[in-house]
Amino acid sequence: MRNDTRLIGARNGRAVLLLATLLLFLLAACGGADTGGDKPVTLILAGYTTPREAYREIIPLFQAHWKEQTGQEVVFEESYLASGAQSRAVLEGFEADIVALSLEADVTRLVDAGLITHDWKSVGGDGMVSDSVVVFGVRSGNPLGITDWHDLARPGVEVLTPNPKTSGGAMWNILALYGAARRGFVDGVPANDEAAAAAFLRDVLKNVSVMDKGARESITNYEQGVGDVIITYENEILVGQQAGHDYEMVIPRSSILIENPVAVVDSYVDKHGSREVAEAFVQFLFSKEAQEVFARHGLRAVNDEVAAATATQYPPLADLFTIDYFGGWREATPTIFGDNGIYTTVFANLNVPTP
Amino acid sequence: MATITTVVRGRPSTRSSVWRRRLLIGVVALYVGLLIVAPLVALVRGAFLEGAAAMWQVINQPGVWRAFWQTLQIGVVVVVVHTVFGTAVAWVFVRDDFRGKWLLNAIMDLPFAVSPVVVGYMLILIFGRRGLLAPLLAAWDIQVVFALPGMVLATLFVTMPFMVRVLVPVLEAFDVRQEQAAATLGAGGWFTFRRVTFPALRWGFVYGITLTFARALGEFGAVLVVGGGIQGRTETVPIYIFRALDERMYTGAYSAALLLGLFSILLILGTDWLRRRRQE
Amino acid sequence: MASMTTPATTPRIPWARLGIRGMALSYLFIMLIIPISVIFWDGFSEGMVTLWQEVTKPIAWSALKLTLWTSAVMAIINGVMGLLTAFVLVRYTFPGKTTLNAIIDLPLAIPTLVTGLMLVALYGPQQVLGQWILEHFGQRIIFAPPGIVLALLFVTFPFVVRSVQPVLLDLDQAQEDAAATLAATSWMIFHRITFPAIRLPLLSGMLLSFARAIGEFGAIVIVAGNIPFRSQTAAVYVYGEVESENRLGASAMSVAMMLIAFSVVALVGYLERRGRRG
Repeated sequence: MRNDTRLIGARNGRAVLLLATLLLFLLAACGGADTGGDKPVTLILAGYTTPREAYREIIPLFQAHWKEQTGQEVVFEESYLASGAQSRAVLEGFEADIVALSLEADVTRLVDAGLITHDWKSVGGDGMVSDSVVVFGVRSGNPLGITDWHDLARPGVEVLTPNPKTSGGAMWNILALYGAARRGFVDGVPANDEAAAAAFLRDVLKNVSVMDKGARESITNYEQGVGDVIITYENEILVGQQAGHDYEMVIPRSSILIENPVAVVDSYVDKHGSREVAEAFVQFLFSKEAQEVFARHGLRAVNDEVAAATATQYPPLADLFTIDYFGGWREATPTIFGDNGIYTTVFANLNVPTP
Repeated sequence: MATITTVVRGRPSTRSSVWRRRLLIGVVALYVGLLIVAPLVALVRGAFLEGAAAMWQVINQPGVWRAFWQTLQIGVVVVVVHTVFGTAVAWVFVRDDFRGKWLLNAIMDLPFAVSPVVVGYMLILIFGRRGLLAPLLAAWDIQVVFALPGMVLATLFVTMPFMVRVLVPVLEAFDVRQEQAAATLGAGGWFTFRRVTFPALRWGFVYGITLTFARALGEFGAVLVVGGGIQGRTETVPIYIFRALDERMYTGAYSAALLLGLFSILLILGTDWLRRRRQE
Repeated sequence: MASMTTPATTPRIPWARLGIRGMALSYLFIMLIIPISVIFWDGFSEGMVTLWQEVTKPIAWSALKLTLWTSAVMAIINGVMGLLTAFVLVRYTFPGKTTLNAIIDLPLAIPTLVTGLMLVALYGPQQVLGQWILEHFGQRIIFAPPGIVLALLFVTFPFVVRSVQPVLLDLDQAQEDAAATLAATSWMIFHRITFPAIRLPLLSGMLLSFARAIGEFGAIVIVAGNIPFRSQTAAVYVYGEVESENRLGASAMSVAMMLIAFSVVALVGYLERRGRRG
């Protein structure tokens, strides 16, 4: 009996040892952290999801620029999440030196919390580093003949747009859709008729089949063959086309101008001692060099010179309105997306039976 | 043990029983095939779509290795903590008695029911800049959220029930008289545990560790919320997969998923192999 | 349960017993009770009435209902198929049995996010299988409730199989054989002998998978479509509330989800205790 016990014990030890060795081996194999070099400065960039391809190109340019000016290396740590999630993470202690977000409300939140204390809107004009517009993506050859907003309400058209509760991009989409209707740019909806605009919003929302977490997930889902039309940023379509996808872009007559803010987070740069380089980076984003990169990646440049040079690529719209049409974000967020907001109410009364 | 694997003995195998056997096996095979195997095949196909060279190329990058390293670190810490403390909890559930034990037993499975997003969010409520413990953490200059400790805590919470739930039935089935006998023979508590109790629980441990480790490797929602997904710092493999999908690097996403799955599959198959070898 | 906890079974030295108890309790307290209390405290911070209002808001209520019925359907399918799988694994030998046995745990090893993607790649409306089902049954799988059930089935597959399997293994075959000798039909044997023995582990496996299903997020958010009132589950709803800074809504719904899971688990415990006594 005693012998037996010991035997089991020994075998058991071997099994555990084997497991432990396996784990250690795995750890060792993947280890080997590399540290070294002399005092480079680190910048943490917290961005929203869509301009990452542009930043990937701008960052090396800035690194070279900074090295040339000061002889110092800059190391970047990047994080790309949905704009709202990113803003809240920074608020809760994600110590990002620079935030590059989708909408102004997400920066305002950091200002209200006292993390950003300087007048960020005075940097580079109005603190907005790039623009875009809300457009549609349609399948190659536009088989459904989608030309403008009213086509999205046609029965049987399957529409994709992300969830405004989780995606800044989706908020822009809903505002563009509802705004265009209220301004009288949707066939059959009289201008300034709020009830008719809400009814139109309902008709389009009825056709929405998938609401993804974020703008980028929504378009990659569309690329998998889901849906007939996607409402998205102009730059998302252009980047997707650059990646080799053959969907086409339809620009509606009326849409909202998307303005993406960028700001240095005062509390964290002071803590890290990285203010100087962080401010230089933000300044650099407004330079002709960086703006050209944005324009190459589908975003409309805010630099006049670059904007003029790329005008053919980015056609003007008949009616382009801004968030000010809704009284700015502070007013738009509650009146459209709040508990009794127009979007929320329309959805609550949708009551579509399961298809 | 030998009887386990044998076909129904002593029962005349009529034609109907043969057909029933075929039918049942067929139904199970179809079900497992459609539900589990088909998606896995799709995963493997996705990873190899551009060939093994492309696969290696996307995987063999410092950022990706760092994500793997980070994920394994979290997995190992979680396994160690749950093995030590989970054993204690299982022992208390089976052998100890005190008021309110049933309640503890009932809340043990709650981590399953809590959405991972809420787990991350909850940790931020506690450890965040505006959280309950914020002054304490600031005074000691400890960073929990958006750093490794927070990610470990999130994973610990999510994987909590596995070890205990696996060990409790084994411990219940284990004949306490063996322990008592050892004690009667003058063996100390630690000696009894090491020589009598532990060997009996061995497969429980191995299975519990496997499940905990596998689940820890795959955790996504909680770790993303609490870690912030900073490339090169708080990026685990599932978060890398999430980013790779967003950046249309499908080969990278599928290969990383496959490699991650492979760790767990090897563990599971290894456990199974050891167990069978022992039976023989 | 009570009979198992006789003091004689524990180490003779009381401090060792207290030490282990203290260790276990502090672990449970720090890792489990504190975090859960924080959610409860947050959910109840504005009182019961507000919590109830938050949960019964039409959009939240429909998400909760969807979660519950899809989880229930999943638990039933999982119960039947898990039992069958365990039965086949224990009682029959056939080629590929070892592989099948090893496959059971794989769903745990795949990140749920990847699970979701794989299901879309297979059963999506544009894929061969999805298209075929849509044409022949007129039912969408992905981006509709069946997709939710499918994802849940994948994620919780091991729970029932692994709860039932060990009990089936231990079940005295002699009893069944004796019954067979007495000319009992196989259905009678199953009904009278096998089933009573595995009833509790089966139920416990089903309810465990149900509890796990309530909180599932990663796979569902990809396959469900997430349209409020149509295909948005409670976990996805909570995510939206967290993201749009409705802290109370998120906590309230989380409390509701936990209470449901808690009652379910407590019910299993009660049945188990009663089953042992009876």
